[in-house]
Amino acid sequence: MWAFPNILLLSIVMIFSLDLSIQQINGSSIYQYVWSWTINNDFSFEFGYFIDSLTSIMSILITTVGIFVLIYSENYMSHDEGYLRFFAYMSLFNTSMLGLVTSCNLIQIYIFWELVGMCSYLLIGFWFTRPAAANACQKEFVTNRIGDFGLLLGILGFFWITGSFEFQDLFEIFNNLIYNNEVHFLFVTLCASLLFAGAVAKSAQFPLHVWLPDAMEGPTPISALIYAATMVAAGIFLVARLLPLFIVIPYIMNLISLIGIITVLLGATLALAQNDIKRGLAYSTMSQLGYMMSALGMGSYRAALFHLITHAYSKVLLFLASGSIIHSMEAIVGYSPEKSQNMVFMGGLRKHVPVTQIAFLVGTLSLCGIPPLACFWSKDEILSDSWLYSPIFAIIAWSTAGLTAFYMFRIYLLTFEGHLNVHFQKYSGKKSSSFYSIKLWGKEEQKIINRNFRLFPLLTLTMNNNEQPYTIGGKKEARITITNFGCKKAFSYPHESDNTMLFPMLILLLFTLFVGAIAIPFNQEGMHLDILSKLLTPSINL
Amino acid sequence: MNYFPWLTIIVFLPISAGSLLFFLPHKGNKLIKWYTICICILELLLTTYAFCYHFRLDDPLIQLAEDYKWINFFDFYWRLGIDGLSIGPILLTGFITTLATLAAWPVTRDSRLFHFLMLAMYSGQIGSFSSRDLLLFFIMWEFELIPVYLLLSMWGGKKRLYSATKFILYTAGGSVFLLIGVLGLGLYGSNEPTLNFETLANQSYPVALEIIFYIGFLIAFAVKSPIIPLHTWLPDTHGEAHYSTCMLLAGILLKMGAYGLVRINMELLPHAHSIFSPWLIIVGTMQIIYAASTSLGQRNLKKRIAYSSVSHMGFIIIGIGSITDTGLNGAILQIISHGFIGAALFFLAGTSYDRMRLVYLDEMGGMAVSIPKIFTMFSILSMASLALPGMSGFVAELIVFFGIITSQKYFLMPKILITFVMAIGMILTPIYSLSMSRQMFYGYKLFNAPSSYFFDSGPRELFVSISIFLPVIGIGIYPDFVLSLSGEKVETILYNYFYR
Repeated sequence: MWAFPNILLLSIVMIFSLDLSIQQINGSSIYQYVWSWTINNDFSFEFGYFIDSLTSIMSILITTVGIFVLIYSENYMSHDEGYLRFFAYMSLFNTSMLGLVTSCNLIQIYIFWELVGMCSYLLIGFWFTRPAAANACQKEFVTNRIGDFGLLLGILGFFWITGSFEFQDLFEIFNNLIYNNEVHFLFVTLCASLLFAGAVAKSAQFPLHVWLPDAMEGPTPISALIYAATMVAAGIFLVARLLPLFIVIPYIMNLISLIGIITVLLGATLALAQNDIKRGLAYSTMSQLGYMMSALGMGSYRAALFHLITHAYSKVLLFLASGSIIHSMEAIVGYSPEKSQNMVFMGGLRKHVPVTQIAFLVGTLSLCGIPPLACFWSKDEILSDSWLYSPIFAIIAWSTAGLTAFYMFRIYLLTFEGHLNVHFQKYSGKKSSSFYSIKLWGKEEQKIINRNFRLFPLLTLTMNNNEQPYTIGGKKEARITITNFGCKKAFSYPHESDNTMLFPMLILLLFTLFVGAIAIPFNQEGMHLDILSKLLTPSINL
Repeated sequence: MNYFPWLTIIVFLPISAGSLLFFLPHKGNKLIKWYTICICILELLLTTYAFCYHFRLDDPLIQLAEDYKWINFFDFYWRLGIDGLSIGPILLTGFITTLATLAAWPVTRDSRLFHFLMLAMYSGQIGSFSSRDLLLFFIMWEFELIPVYLLLSMWGGKKRLYSATKFILYTAGGSVFLLIGVLGLGLYGSNEPTLNFETLANQSYPVALEIIFYIGFLIAFAVKSPIIPLHTWLPDTHGEAHYSTCMLLAGILLKMGAYGLVRINMELLPHAHSIFSPWLIIVGTMQIIYAASTSLGQRNLKKRIAYSSVSHMGFIIIGIGSITDTGLNGAILQIISHGFIGAALFFLAGTSYDRMRLVYLDEMGGMAVSIPKIFTMFSILSMASLALPGMSGFVAELIVFFGIITSQKYFLMPKILITFVMAIGMILTPIYSLSMSRQMFYGYKLFNAPSSYFFDSGPRELFVSISIFLPVIGIGIYPDFVLSLSGEKVETILYNYFYR
């Protein structure tokens, strides 16, 4: 019940941000208001808000995704001890995220940036009795701190160059300086790449992506909210916000697109070989973020933001569906994430969880870029822009789109098709073998599970599946070992989740189906303008 | 003008009321505790009242000044007075000492003496922050060592005598240099000694002599502050002392070193300070990195927190060395902010020690389930210690960063280098402070002992930690609370550097 005030307040914010974006579409202008925070003789910091089309897009994204995730987690977390704590953290996270996108100067960005990092620290460490979660949350914080280190130094460097934190002043002064050739080129490049390091850490780009898969230790709604839609988008947001700054420094744009394209390939190849359903989705998120980052580096601002929106809805849908699967698997295999999220045990879930299956399928199709769905439109734009930019990048981006389809369908098929493997684990002829594996190409017949094992050691993932009693709070978790497998009645099957969990998934499914429409040009009176272009035109000219 | 001797009363009240403790009837510890708490609160209220009504923020000069001749034949005056620089530390002293007294509730051994020593320390600290006379400053400085030494040597862990001896040797060694400096400054130039801060501030010395004085004072304050390599007493002392003593040590005593550095080295010896300030900055940067990486290797919980305070003191030194308005303001803000955060961390470490009876971090774990309130407060305050925005530590460190960046004195390359290395400290801080909280609270643990049931913090402990937490977040959200106290004075001090 405590979710209700959260949802109510967030809906009010959503109405406001809808109103703002309608205003932005009609007569796009920039609103800015500042208060003074500290005034001293020598220095003063200001606090305020800065609203333009980018802000309105981001705030709509955050609030809609946030509301659905809150509704979803009402049910998902209802039996958890930390139910209240969960919603408190979620609200704190939403607040800091909204603060981040409305900030008017770099100091404020930094403040909310850190707060977002802290919230995700708290949320990953939500189940703090799990040692894996404890390690993962610290890893997340420290990795993000490395990014913050760069961000702070970059902010200080640009303050030293221009003497201002306010975006508009900063861009103006900086452009003048560049125009008059008054800046030290190397220093500017250094500062800009340091600023970019902040975005790299937050958006899980190549060198600092290490925290993202571990962050899946948190509850699934959190993975959906933070690591699919909002927090990882913060890095994209920062680069998009500072694009007028980056665009005048030549090498930075190349660096951004290079990092982006490396991440695209790396994320996709890592996602190919995951056993854990959430980790697979996490690496796929990383790869898609790489698309956005490289699009920003190529200068196609519009395509990047469009992909941000479409990907956010599709990926939230996928995460919520996977949460629903995990929820229903937990009842059978036990509450250890190593089991309930493991695709080894899944399979054939199509019969048992039909609604979730449809949602997951639509998300998968969208992410693969099948035409009428959301991600098709945006990915298409990015791919065509990348052809114009550089053929090598385009080939990588292109082939990775194929890989995306491969790994997404691998996840989908392993989960929903075939037979439910929980009950078959003892049927395997090699009962004594301690290894259990899924091939890259999916599960083979259970009897020949180890036949080709030595041939493809690199392609094969192994997991040590037995004899490690998992303990929480000192109590031995009851491990599910089905001893009486002769008796079919003893088998329990996964059930579909409750309606409160299915409802947000269905709404998000609609979003996934139709959100691509915002960039489809409607021909009205000879004007080839779609909503997104209308929204984004002034920002490009900034 | 107000002639009521507020400051004298404030300085004398705790120790004189504390000496009455010995005349109280022997009716158990409860009476003594309540009496001490009442005195502390009375003193805090009195200080606040006096400062509220008789202190004007826009005036950079000495206020509430008192001037009585004490010893005739060498011109020794009882001179007290406060300005923007000292009002913050005095209020901090009152606040932290009151809470430390409350934190010392479980002390039962010799509680009469313990509480008397606390009150004596209270007097000594306020005395040294408010004295306007060089010799009086020295006397107060020494006077306050005695209670600290006794507190360290009589209450605490097993190796307390060793650490108390180390402490007294270090600080007494530093005091020798302080005395040399005081006498040198006082006796220079004229036949009769001049010990007044105001006259001394306008005096100029030959450069060589000024450097010698500066080094003397620097050594004394570096021991107290502490500045590497003179910090080695601190982890030992903090590791062994009782946690209320630790609160006083980390909250106030360390700040006396930094205060002295601003008050004497910066205000009285400006030329030498501008010569030495690059070295101060280099040492401060090294200190941030060194102490943060040493902290990682500590097994003892309190030693780890102790090294974290050494690391945070580096920011103060850098702020002082930057010779900018901004940097000095940041240093003063960091003095106040670390006073709160350090004290709170020691308090929480101490209270969880009371429950676990474990000293080493690798033996702990899984405490979050049994003591959630302490866990929450500890997480919040370790976040504050790693300079999370919204908390006071962030504002202080940010302003120090700006101080370095805007400093006119240094060239571009050294500035970039210093800022870079300081910012590396920003990465190291969460590593040690979060792993500390992870090792203590996260995970799970089976306690073999049958009596493995822990009480969560009671109302007293909760009150102490929350009342420290409130100013931390208050300053973090609205830093002008503290900056408005010190702004004018800082400007006056820095005026000397540019127009003289």
